[in-house]
Amino acid sequence: MILKNSHPTAGATRSPQALLPAGGFRAPWISFGPYFVGCALAAGLYFTLPVAIGPYYSRIVIDVGIAMILAVSLNIVSGMTGQFSIGHAGFMALGGYTAGMITYYGSLLWWGTAARHGGFLGVGDWFFVAACMVGGLVAAAAGYVVGLPSLRLRGDYLAIVTLGFGEILRVVLQQTNKVMENAATVRASTLRDWWPPPVGGAVGFDGIPKYTNLFWVGAFLTITVVAAYRIKQSSIGRAMLAVREDEIAAQAMGVDIAKTKVRAFVLAALFAGMAGGLLAHEPGLIISPKDAGFQRSFEYLIMTVLGGRGSISGVMLAAAILTALPEFLRDFEQYRLIVYALLLIVMMLLRPQGLFGIHEIWQIWRRRGKAEA
Amino acid sequence: MALDSSIAELLRAENLCLNFGGLKAVQNFTFGLPLGALYGLIGPNGAGKTTVFNLLTGVYRADSGGIRLAGANLVGRKPHEITAAGIARTFQNIRLFPDLSVLDNVCLAGQLRGSQRLSGTVLRTAHQRNEEAAIRARCLDLLALFDLRDRAEALATSLSYGHQRYLEIVRALATEPKVLLLDEPAAGLNSREKRALAQSIRDIRDRFGLAILLIDHDMNLVMEICERIAVLDYGVTIAQGTPAEVQNDPKVIAAYLGCSEPPK
Repeated sequence: MILKNSHPTAGATRSPQALLPAGGFRAPWISFGPYFVGCALAAGLYFTLPVAIGPYYSRIVIDVGIAMILAVSLNIVSGMTGQFSIGHAGFMALGGYTAGMITYYGSLLWWGTAARHGGFLGVGDWFFVAACMVGGLVAAAAGYVVGLPSLRLRGDYLAIVTLGFGEILRVVLQQTNKVMENAATVRASTLRDWWPPPVGGAVGFDGIPKYTNLFWVGAFLTITVVAAYRIKQSSIGRAMLAVREDEIAAQAMGVDIAKTKVRAFVLAALFAGMAGGLLAHEPGLIISPKDAGFQRSFEYLIMTVLGGRGSISGVMLAAAILTALPEFLRDFEQYRLIVYALLLIVMMLLRPQGLFGIHEIWQIWRRRGKAEA
Repeated sequence: MALDSSIAELLRAENLCLNFGGLKAVQNFTFGLPLGALYGLIGPNGAGKTTVFNLLTGVYRADSGGIRLAGANLVGRKPHEITAAGIARTFQNIRLFPDLSVLDNVCLAGQLRGSQRLSGTVLRTAHQRNEEAAIRARCLDLLALFDLRDRAEALATSLSYGHQRYLEIVRALATEPKVLLLDEPAAGLNSREKRALAQSIRDIRDRFGLAILLIDHDMNLVMEICERIAVLDYGVTIAQGTPAEVQNDPKVIAAYLGCSEPPK
């Protein structure tokens, strides 16, 4: 093989995208379009779905959406970057409790009651969204701290650290104070009453205003999925994949491994924390310390393993199946964990790379088309 | 060491030492690589050749000694910083990213000098899209140079062994290095492929204006293309010089073939 006689900077291979003007009206549309479309779809669902399929099934769709956010975010750290994390529910619970504290005590102080305030897209809704964002940021800070050991630990050892984070959080949450019932108590409280935080202890944090609906789940899911997909298609995502594949080669090619790993942990925790905010405000559900525990983390881990490491669409499909299936098989509830375990064993034997491996669903179709041609 | 000679040399290793416990892996390794040079590093198995590469690229940190690239100190810098400073390498046992496509393998290295931020990525700004397209185009052109363009979308592991070796070189070139370290690029190639490789290595040096340091066990290849050669044995540099000088050095002959009494 001899070097071909073409100049390395010959422009014949430029993709048409590079030829577009840098600015213009297209730029903001490309940047924000997918987010906008996702939110519009979510609004459509919010107005039509409860009418079409009733409140029970709408509730399942909400559960599926939240599970998708958590699975896609876990996929950033364990699927794309290859860092084994089984403390993901811990980040979720941390974000959920933080967001819940903000909306519950904020509502009590400002509006005198912890009930919902304002209608669709009303002031209460935006307060709730801001609380979810803060929950995400607090979880991201925790993700930074938990991500640091990943620079020195690998595989099983890292898994134990992340597991420890979730379990410690669960036990700490069990030791918290009782929820303050009304505004008068909150006003009369001293600083001592806020440590440990009054979030209900082992029985869970009851009374959080129930703002979560199909629209907000859809909006947060859109942010998570579009951001994750764009990261996967970028230099940042490529660096994550390279760290998963071969750390030595990755750093020899100029990848800052420490930065890449910590960034993956922080991003995953950020989205998980926001999903926790949605969960805490979900109607008919009380967030409790066991939500931070090992079992929940394990469920999300199964979704990423089942979907395929790094495949965003595959993980979303797995999250949908694993969340919806138990609802339709209510009568067999007690066998759920057995089915999970069997499913995992079968998957490991038949398709160890997950449903879609490292590919997205549409890439599978394209490959199949190519093979037939 | 006079100042002027250290500037003339692009890469300078000065008295590098590395011990693994009681094992002296590399002792007092001193070596200069001028701009545009094509030098070789040989020695019997276990002599410390790859260890020298690992020292130069920051995988190991030298116990003592200095490494300078165009005058800038590299000791204590992290591997990715050293790659950014301009030293790229290939691996003796191929280390491609197996589940990434051929193109993504190269793009990963080609993105080194990019300036993408997380915010720009999540919003897919014009800057981010243009840069990503430019990286892609540049890497496709590099692949075209080595006849690998039509395999760009294939998985790296689906390439033949010889092509994988070339892909490693392409990937290293994509980081836009000043110095290229090739660790046994001819291992596992047949004699016809080795001849082609010899030509390619010279072409790479001329086209990209690099300095190349080469490790290989194939003496024909090393003697043919290298201008100067350093010989390592048990971590000690036993000879340095032109191929002809090294070939006739009794210490080198003793190291490779053994001899009845130790050379003076």
